[in-house]
Amino acid sequence: MRKVLRIMVRRTVNAAITIFGILCLNYVLIRLMPGNAEANLAPHNPQYAGYLADNIRTFGLDRSPEEQFVIYLQNAFTFNWGISYYWKQPVADLLLHDLSWTLLLVGMSTIFTTLIGMVVGSFAAVRRGKPFDLISTGGTIFLYGMPIFWLGIVLQLTFQRNSVISHVFTWWPWFPTQGYWDDPNTGFPQMWAWDWTHISNVLWHLVLPALTLSLGTLAGISLVMRSSLIDVMTEDFVLTAKAKGLSDRQVLRRHIFPNGLPPMVSLIALDIAFIFGGAYQVEWVFNYKGIGWRTIEAIGHLDFPTLQFIIVIGGVAIVLANLFSDFLLLWLDPRIKIT
Amino acid sequence: MGATEVVTKKPTISPLEATLRVAWKRAKQVGTQIYHSRNAMAGLIILLFFASLAIAAPWLAPYRPTQPVADATCSTLQVPATYLQPPCPAHPLGTNYFSNDIYSQVIWGTQISFIVGIASAVVATVVGTAVGLISGYVGGWIDEVLMRFNDVILSIPWLVLMIVVAAKVGVVDLTGLILVIGLTGWSVTARVIRSQVLSIKERMFVERAKMLGAPSSRILVRHIFPNAFPLIFANTILTVAVSILSESVLAFLGLRPPETVSWGRIIAEAIDNAAVLYNAWWLIVPGLCIVFLVFGFYLFGYALDEILNPRLRRR
Amino acid sequence: MEVEDLSIEYTTQAGTVRAVQGVSFEVGEGEALGLAGESGCGKTTTALAIMRLLPYNGKILRGEIRFNGRNLVKLSERSIQRVRWADISIIFQGAMNSLNPVRNIGYQIAEPIILHEKVEEPVAMKRVGELLELVGINRERIRDYPHEFSGGMRQRVMIAMALACNPKLVIADEPVTALDVMIQAQILELLERLRRDLHLSMILISHDLSVMAETCDKVAIMYGGKMMELGKTVDVFTDAKHPYTQGLVAAFPDIRGQRTMPASIPGDVPSLINPPTGCVFHPRCKFAFDRCTAAEPALAEVTPGRQAACFLYPQVSEVMQRAVTTAAP
Repeated sequence: MRKVLRIMVRRTVNAAITIFGILCLNYVLIRLMPGNAEANLAPHNPQYAGYLADNIRTFGLDRSPEEQFVIYLQNAFTFNWGISYYWKQPVADLLLHDLSWTLLLVGMSTIFTTLIGMVVGSFAAVRRGKPFDLISTGGTIFLYGMPIFWLGIVLQLTFQRNSVISHVFTWWPWFPTQGYWDDPNTGFPQMWAWDWTHISNVLWHLVLPALTLSLGTLAGISLVMRSSLIDVMTEDFVLTAKAKGLSDRQVLRRHIFPNGLPPMVSLIALDIAFIFGGAYQVEWVFNYKGIGWRTIEAIGHLDFPTLQFIIVIGGVAIVLANLFSDFLLLWLDPRIKIT
Repeated sequence: MGATEVVTKKPTISPLEATLRVAWKRAKQVGTQIYHSRNAMAGLIILLFFASLAIAAPWLAPYRPTQPVADATCSTLQVPATYLQPPCPAHPLGTNYFSNDIYSQVIWGTQISFIVGIASAVVATVVGTAVGLISGYVGGWIDEVLMRFNDVILSIPWLVLMIVVAAKVGVVDLTGLILVIGLTGWSVTARVIRSQVLSIKERMFVERAKMLGAPSSRILVRHIFPNAFPLIFANTILTVAVSILSESVLAFLGLRPPETVSWGRIIAEAIDNAAVLYNAWWLIVPGLCIVFLVFGFYLFGYALDEILNPRLRRR
Repeated sequence: MEVEDLSIEYTTQAGTVRAVQGVSFEVGEGEALGLAGESGCGKTTTALAIMRLLPYNGKILRGEIRFNGRNLVKLSERSIQRVRWADISIIFQGAMNSLNPVRNIGYQIAEPIILHEKVEEPVAMKRVGELLELVGINRERIRDYPHEFSGGMRQRVMIAMALACNPKLVIADEPVTALDVMIQAQILELLERLRRDLHLSMILISHDLSVMAETCDKVAIMYGGKMMELGKTVDVFTDAKHPYTQGLVAAFPDIRGQRTMPASIPGDVPSLINPPTGCVFHPRCKFAFDRCTAAEPALAEVTPGRQAACFLYPQVSEVMQRAVTTAAP
């Protein structure tokens, strides 16, 4: 048990170092942007002038680069992230609020995707070469290559209130294509309450974005699962298992899966950055006001204080997800305890 | 009893010629396997189709992408106008806000996809391979630092990274765009190459070359690279697919050179002009083109990977 | 066990590989048969076929494998699963990868016991402990993982596993090839001892004749998918009848003999997709004559207890073409 603990500590330290690296990279990138830092963090629009002084003070833009770096780090950890020009609110409040919505979206679709992706991938691996495999793999690669924003648009077209299809099939369902709950204009109460009206509305709004994100990332998981399982199937110990008289089902369950899962977990962890990238697109297309939407809006309005920490948020989320998958691997694969 | 072996004398050939001969033989082998693989052939056909579109664009497209058309044959307005016309035989996909024929735009867009896709994939592969080779072969603290850096880059959502790098490098021209996509896409390649180098390094013949006193550069070029090359090649094709996707996302979000009309841009313009209401094909067709082109690259890339990666053989 | 006229082929992208053609032999109770030959001559394929473990693209074209009065070739998948390990088990070479890396060895050895004898885990584990002692592994290590053992120990684990269900026949496919010489001797000794104590029949497959000479009663020499010679080990090695066997034996340096370069057999292993016409060995045989190119020699008895497939001996006749009978893969 002590060995496992030691490894966990080591991984956590690594994660911390990576996060630090992200912070540094972020700092460098922002400072390297064309123009000087002061001008960049300064509003391009005179009506934002008031906040400029605030931000200069917060980030010490009138001091030397070394001091700025230290201040930057301090600010990062105390959640003192400046004031957004466009939205006129503290950046930290904005981003953390958005993060919760984004996590809801990503969380839901990831659960859906992982389950379905693993099932499809396993079926395809077991029935390799047969029709199911060819069709599902072909379809999956097809989905994999689809730009997620386009997929979102197509789904919007299909499921919007007066879609072409609903003219043909009157029973065709429709889902909202904007936002995460209804507009205030429709009389929908904007204050959050944990009641069914709110929850059901949010879920209803989640359907299309989550579906888009799920379909887009399903392909990755299914393909990885399939190739990971096929890799294992060619190993010698699978033959040994069969030689022992185990049925194919038993071999699959007891020998192939436990060996196929670890590489899949690590490959998926690698994919997480791409999954997040997809979430950003989905939020933009569906006007779902999470981190992704905020990022793209901020770029459009050149709101640098907001942009400054968006990189960090995204990066930290991914590092933490990787850390989690590392711990998961520790549990799944006994070999890791030794190396 | 025993028979003595007879040694025949062969004319000596230069090492370069030997390498080329072996490479050619292997290439022919792979070629036959490609021919027999359904996936590879399907992918190849799709690629050739789009490639011919790209090459024949000047003759195939009735108009240039930014050329305003003079006729309003498809217009359904009371007072016929040349802009925002819905589809009809004269303009199969209608026209946009600037009266450009969308059908032509889509055909010309093929060129951009290929150019940007392949060029940025080359950049990404060159950088990624260099990093992977050095990191894998030299090892030590250089390896640690490079992989750390790689981790950081991989941790940041690629979209955000691209946007920030785009702001720095500037996508005001095609070269900028290619650099942006290339410089953000090398991480995965580096990882893959590095692990391949590590496994090659363990093999005996590298030990022997070192013992014979071969300098590191020679080992890298003559032994490690040729063994890693098939993997690099298959990986590049997949990188092209990713690059095309990245380019379309960037174009859709507005980060594109002003003069280039790429599929992503066409879709963005369609959204901006509420095409959903009167010309859904404006939205759908460019998207389908992206999907199929990327599909082609993926099919071919995956099939090639299966052929070149011995571990995927069936039991 | 009797194998009669077994023929197996593989379908590959490069063509149809005729891996085994018309091979026949028998193994009696408590007997050890050695299957010798160069790499790729079909020995492992034969072994796999006995347990019906051929890969998806392998097919038994014809022949019978009679064991305990049943023809294994014709059994259903369910039936053969019951035969596997309970009656016949196999030890693979290079146990590096033959053990599941994510399960401890206790689980892996107990697995077939629980499966075939339908006992509870504690009972099975007790037996596992006994087996481990039998092969010389400390009982305490029952919960260890394969990567915690050295190569030789892993092979012992495989042997323990192979004996788990008290099989009547054990096939050992290159059991010592991947080990260094000292461990080789230990493992062979262990196998021999177990065989004697437990009255096992064994088929030992190897390309190393010296291994065979030590442990087997009978030996069969295979080449190019066909059986070349079959007989008692001592006889075959001291007085080889088939030219191929003669070449193999001569290739062994004799520690007491003269210090000359051992002879080797010229030429290369034949392609099994396009085998040579007639006798499969004739391109490399120094005694070849016209008939060898024209027809295939069948395995026939040339002296009591000895069979060889070579036209040098008048008793040997030609192989007749037979129809392909449908057999289970």
